[in-house]
Amino acid sequence: MASNTYKNLTPAAKLDKKTLNKMVWRSCNLQGSFNYERMQAAGWLYSILPGLEKIHTDKDDLALSMKHNLDFFNTHPFLVTFVMGIVLSMEQQKSDINTIRAVRVAAMGPLGGIGDAIFWFTLVPIAAGICSNMAIQGSFAGPILFLLIFNAVQFGVRFFLMSWSYELGTKAITLLTANAKEFTRAASMLGVFIVGALTSNYGGTTVALTIENGEAPIVVQSILDGVLPKMIPLALTLLLFFLMKKKGWTPVKCIVLLLAIGIVGALIGLF
Amino acid sequence: MSFSAIQIILVFAFVFIVAIDQFDLLESLYQPIVTGAVIGLILGDVQTGLVVGGTYQLMTIGNMPVGGAQPPNAVIGGVMAAVFAIASGLDVEAAVGLAVPFALIGQYMVTLLFTAMSPMMSAADKMADKADAKGIVRLNYIAMAILGLLFAVVCTIGLVGGAAAGNALTAFFDAVPWLMSGLSAAGGMMRFVGFATLLRIMLSNDLWGIYFAGFALATIIGYIPGLSGSALLLIAFVGIAIALYDFQTRCAMKSAGVGSNGGDEDGI
Repeated sequence: MASNTYKNLTPAAKLDKKTLNKMVWRSCNLQGSFNYERMQAAGWLYSILPGLEKIHTDKDDLALSMKHNLDFFNTHPFLVTFVMGIVLSMEQQKSDINTIRAVRVAAMGPLGGIGDAIFWFTLVPIAAGICSNMAIQGSFAGPILFLLIFNAVQFGVRFFLMSWSYELGTKAITLLTANAKEFTRAASMLGVFIVGALTSNYGGTTVALTIENGEAPIVVQSILDGVLPKMIPLALTLLLFFLMKKKGWTPVKCIVLLLAIGIVGALIGLF
Repeated sequence: MSFSAIQIILVFAFVFIVAIDQFDLLESLYQPIVTGAVIGLILGDVQTGLVVGGTYQLMTIGNMPVGGAQPPNAVIGGVMAAVFAIASGLDVEAAVGLAVPFALIGQYMVTLLFTAMSPMMSAADKMADKADAKGIVRLNYIAMAILGLLFAVVCTIGLVGGAAAGNALTAFFDAVPWLMSGLSAAGGMMRFVGFATLLRIMLSNDLWGIYFAGFALATIIGYIPGLSGSALLLIAFVGIAIALYDFQTRCAMKSAGVGSNGGDEDGI
């Protein structure tokens, strides 16, 4: 079982501006290896790697840090530097790994809704709305103006959040080290609470099965919803948890199982 | 209207970039307002490109990739609508209609890639164990390049083969409907593997109640349509309150514990 603390517990030197900026640029490719299992996990690791390599000079510690930074990760791509700053400040202080993990999970969740509201529901409709009409009237300034507005906001937000949350994290951790054990527990509670919420919030799996019953066919999903809405996401998560924890299944084995369920299910009209 | 080799190569290169851009890079080059103008520039009819791009943009504003949902792909849609409008002089509506099969194929491509990249995460785990930073970087760039190539090839087929090619391509997928619906059902379930992995590490036995509480609160809020955007923020507020309360109680208990010990020694 992987260790829960780093070998070298001496806090690393503060990351310099150049490294922080490099990570902001890298954060643009957060979704480079997006996938259904861990979503932005490997892109997240790619984004913070320059910082991790500076912080963890011990190779075993770097491996440990890379490993836990490959956990499931999903947040709003334009606000990710907020999570990066906090996590990097904790890595720099060599915080307990479970604490870093819990804080990362707790921070990534709520940003999705905020980012969608700012970028997709406000900025793009306004900017693209105005610029589209310019384009339709034949002005090449339309697309150019759109790109300028959108990217000015995007990069302003990215750079600001990175330096702000890195400073914030550094300050907060010094305050919390006096009660590190209690903080780890509280952070884990929050993390588990958020994963519970994600199970329902991100879990969209439903069944399309209906049972013939003359005039009123029985819709299986609505029966399930009557018992417990989001029952299938919950049951699948618990099943996979059980398979991995008790039966030692690897994630790949779980994915193969889900592919089989998906395809067989589609063939028999389950989905 | 046929296109020169240079035009085809330029479209290929441009689509390669914007396909990656839809998830990475500037995440704005892919918007139809931009792609329409650039495709117009490459194919020699900027005016039509601008009009198609602007119109398609207005259509897609209500159709953003929010919360991980995949609409028929607006990137290919925008590019192919501009191509058809310029190549065949169709009005915008008709050109957008012809582009729909390509937008569907784009969506399939994304589903396939996101599914195929899931087992690759175990390869990433092995790289992490060896502290192989270069490997992680390479993994990301390769995935991005595959996405770019898939889209570039589809758009090039559309550019050379015309609208008929789009129908031929979708016919292939239509012949095996269970494959795409099975893959997208499996894709929707794969995140549970990610959650289960997190739980395996984070969930100590005394936190089961907290897990179900989070699930319950999210499910309740999920039934309130007006809160779909702010759900996770609201949930975080409640979660923070619970965690903070626990933190404060335990800190108080710790200092109180020290205090009462001192009291005993004083003989009170």
